[in-house]
Formats: sequence, C-alpha cells, structure tokens
Amino acid sequence: MLLQKRQEDDVNSHLKAVPRKQPHSIEEVLRIDCIFKGFHTAGGYLPVLDGVSFRAEKGELIAILGRSGCGKSTLLKIVAGFMPPGSGKVLLNEHPVSRPGPDRCVIFQEDALFPWLTVQENIAFGLKGKQRNMKVRAQEVEWLLALVGLSEFRDYLPRELSGGMKQRVALARVLILQPQVLLMDEPFASLDAQSREEMQNLLLLLWKELSHTILFVTHDVNEAVVLADRILLMDKNPGRIREDVRVDLPRPRERESGAFLNVSKRLHRALRD
Amino acid sequence: MMGPADKRTGNNAWWFLPWAIPCLLMSLWWAVSATGVMPAYLLPHPLDIAETGYGYIFGKPEGGPYAGRFLSDAGASLLRVGCGFSLAVAVGLPLGFLSGRLWFIRKLMSTSVNALRAVPGITWLPLALVWFGIGMKTTIFLVALAAFFPVYLNAAAGAGQVNPLLLQAGAMMGVRRLRGTFAILLPGAMSHLMAGLRLGLGISWAYLVLGELTGVPNGLGAVIMDARMLGRIDMIMVGIIVIAVIGRMSDQLLQAGMRCCFKSARRMM
Repeated sequence: MLLQKRQEDDVNSHLKAVPRKQPHSIEEVLRIDCIFKGFHTAGGYLPVLDGVSFRAEKGELIAILGRSGCGKSTLLKIVAGFMPPGSGKVLLNEHPVSRPGPDRCVIFQEDALFPWLTVQENIAFGLKGKQRNMKVRAQEVEWLLALVGLSEFRDYLPRELSGGMKQRVALARVLILQPQVLLMDEPFASLDAQSREEMQNLLLLLWKELSHTILFVTHDVNEAVVLADRILLMDKNPGRIREDVRVDLPRPRERESGAFLNVSKRLHRALRD
Repeated sequence: MMGPADKRTGNNAWWFLPWAIPCLLMSLWWAVSATGVMPAYLLPHPLDIAETGYGYIFGKPEGGPYAGRFLSDAGASLLRVGCGFSLAVAVGLPLGFLSGRLWFIRKLMSTSVNALRAVPGITWLPLALVWFGIGMKTTIFLVALAAFFPVYLNAAAGAGQVNPLLLQAGAMMGVRRLRGTFAILLPGAMSHLMAGLRLGLGISWAYLVLGELTGVPNGLGAVIMDARMLGRIDMIMVGIIVIAVIGRMSDQLLQAGMRCCFKSARRMM
C-alpha cells in the first residue's frame, strides 16, 4: 500500500507530492489556486494561509487535517465564498468563486439551523426559491428525512433535538440542494464519541449513495483516516499544505485494524512535529 | 403539531396564578374599607366602585355625569392609541431594522435618537398644544413619539443580534437580500421585536392619558381628569381599572396577533 511504503522512506520524502492518477480519469471539480490570506490584528499582520493549492476530483472525499489555528477553517470559508482570499483563486468547474452559493454547501461546526422552523421546514428552506412545485418539494423532503433517519422527528423544533440529530438536519437541508461540493467544518467535533462515530458512518453511507465531492476539515486524525480518500496535512504559522496523503485502506474501514492504526500513528507523528 | 412547541406555558392546573395577586389586593381593599381604617372619601368601598363602574359602562336609569359614557370614551381612546402606536410602528420598525443592519443608518441616527430619547415625553406637551391644539392630534403626536423609542431601539437591537451563522447559512442556500430579510432577519429578531412592540403599546396608554388630561371632551384620560375636578374618587378608580383592563387586553391581543402571523413568534416565546 502506498502509505506504508512511504512510511519506510526517510523524513524528507513527506514533502514530496503524491503521484497523481492517470490524467484521463481525472474530472476536476474544485481547484484551489495559490491562496494567500492574512489578517491585520492588534499585534500586526498575521499570515494565515501561505500559498495553499490543491485540486479535488469529482466524488473525492478530502480531509483537511491540522491543529487548531492552522487556517483550515479560514480556507473552508474562502472556498465557501464567505470571505475573499488575499490573493489566489478558487475555481469550481473552472469558474471563479466570488460569493456563497448553493453549489458549495457548508455544514457548520455549531448549530446553524433556523430555530423557528421544524425539522422538515428547515430541510425545505433552501428549496423554496428553486422548486415551485409543492408536491415535488414535499417528496424530496420526505426522501431526505428518510435518508438521514429523521422521519419521525419531522415536526420537532431544533431545540428539541440532540446535537447529532441537528447535524443530520444540517446535512439534509444542504443535500436537498444537490451541491457540487460539500464543505464540512469540523461538523462532528462537538458530539460525543458514539454519535460522532454514528455520524461518520452516516456520512460515508450518504457519500456512497450520492457521491458528492467533500472537503472535510478536522483536527481528529482518526476521523480523517476513517473518512478520507486523501488527507491534506496542514502546517501552522503560516498555514500551508505540508503533505498530500492518499489513504488506500479498503472500505469499510476497521478502526482497530493494524493498517488503520499504522496510518493514524504516522499522521499523529506528522502532526506533532 | 407533534413537537411540544408550547411547553413553557406550563401546567393548566396553575391557571389561577395570574389572578392570585389581584384577588389578594381586592380582599385587602375590602378589609380596609369594611373596617373603616381608610375613610370612604379616600378609598371607596369596592362595591361602590363596582356600582359606579356598572353605571359608567351600561348607563343608569337616574342618569348622572358619567352614566353610559364608557363606549364613546373607550372608542375615542382606542382610536388615539391605535393611530399613535401604528404611526410609531410604521416608522420605528423599519428604521430600527435598518439601523440594526447598516452601519451608515446607525451612525446617521445615533445622535438624534439618543438625544431625543433623553427628553421626557411630558415636555413635549406644551409644544404639542401650541402646534396641534387641544384634542386628537396632540394625543396622537405624544403617543407616537413615546412609543417610537422602545419600538425603534428593540428593532435595532434585535436586527443587530441575529446570529450571523444563520445569515451565512441562508447565503449558502442561495437566499438573496429580500427573502433573507423576511425569512431570516425578521424571525431571528422576533423576540426583540415583540418586546419592543409590547413596551411601545404599554407606553402608548401612558401617554394617551397624558394627552387626554389637557381638556379634551372624551376619552378615558379625560374622564379621570374630570372626575378629579368634581372630587369623584370612585370614578377616578373606575377609570384606572378600565385602563388597566383594556391595556392588558390590548397587550394580549397584540401577542395573539403576532403569534397568529409569525411562526417565529409562535414557537420562540
């Protein structure tokens, strides 16, 4: 396996890029082109992102792994269009991105559901502008409710749901918009261990079914290894991609298997230095 | 609706709780009058008040200065409060919303609003009398002016504190300005808006009486002032009770109306 072979190489080889797949199989959805970003703070200029570039292929699940403060959330906000880059470009299907839109949907870390809408109204919210036909709309909501396992909770308000259920609603309300790219900003970080695992499995299930392109920001090595095809390891101060690791472990991944532990051990070590 | 959205109204067995204090006060009053601790010319007996009130509302066979005037007084007062409060809401709500969202409007308004707010409403009375004369217009002016500030300030605070995450979520789901305003900002600010409207309506009744104390022929405030001059303390108390009851009812009507019109008012309070 690619990763284990690389593990035996010397430390410097970490800096080498992963050899890409054959060009004909690549269908690029997202290209992040040399993004620089910094903030003016009381202590002076603080560079946060320092020339971040990568491409995401269609249907790829990419984890962006780094310690807190490495700029991974900033990167995600720039891709989402909430924040302009200092310089550089984000291209979605070769079109530059300038503002938020339903083609790049975000799952936030905190609860960002509309607290005055029920579960099914939250899920239908984004569709109201797009789908005028009430019948079709109801059908799609029904389908998504079933998909995330919340059919019985359709009339509940967000405040009556657990953290995991809220994130299920958050997933459903963006999946209904059929986004090209799903941007997830540590979406399961505030859940307890059991619900986190449950949500990871649900995400994998949905991904298998709908094969979205997903950027998944996390600081949790195991989460990254469970989910991702590729892990972009980010450095701190300034934030840049140190390593692009392809995870070739077979799915479904056994969290206790030797190969899994090997990969996560190596990433842990890489995060530490 | 399956979700138990109205948990906070509490248990039905406690329906009498809001009436506990009024009942206590009534019995205290009764006791004080019955024992003669307070003479009747200072505090009439509750039954006398009830009789005066009955006559005021339904008329008396023998007539009298206040008999049967209730409908025309209450109608006049409601009209004045309604006009003044609507004016305050029509101007204060959108302006407050704008200043809560746009720094330009906030800066533009800050000095004027806060300086005017510092002026007690009663100081406007002499000026209003000169400008508008005695009657309807003065009262409406005073009511609108007084109700404007709580409505404006709470709308601004509410619009300003809407969770930015909700706006980001809306933006990413393709919601543009106009729909965002009505589908996200307005419900997000609802609890503040509601507080502002209720405060504004409450203060409207206060300034209504102020406006009507100046010699208008009808209205609840006018009755109270008139009764003071004639030394009819029972009538003053009837006026106070009538205003309390109508004020409370209008507050509940306002809340019911908002709940009826807005999901966010129904589900968040």
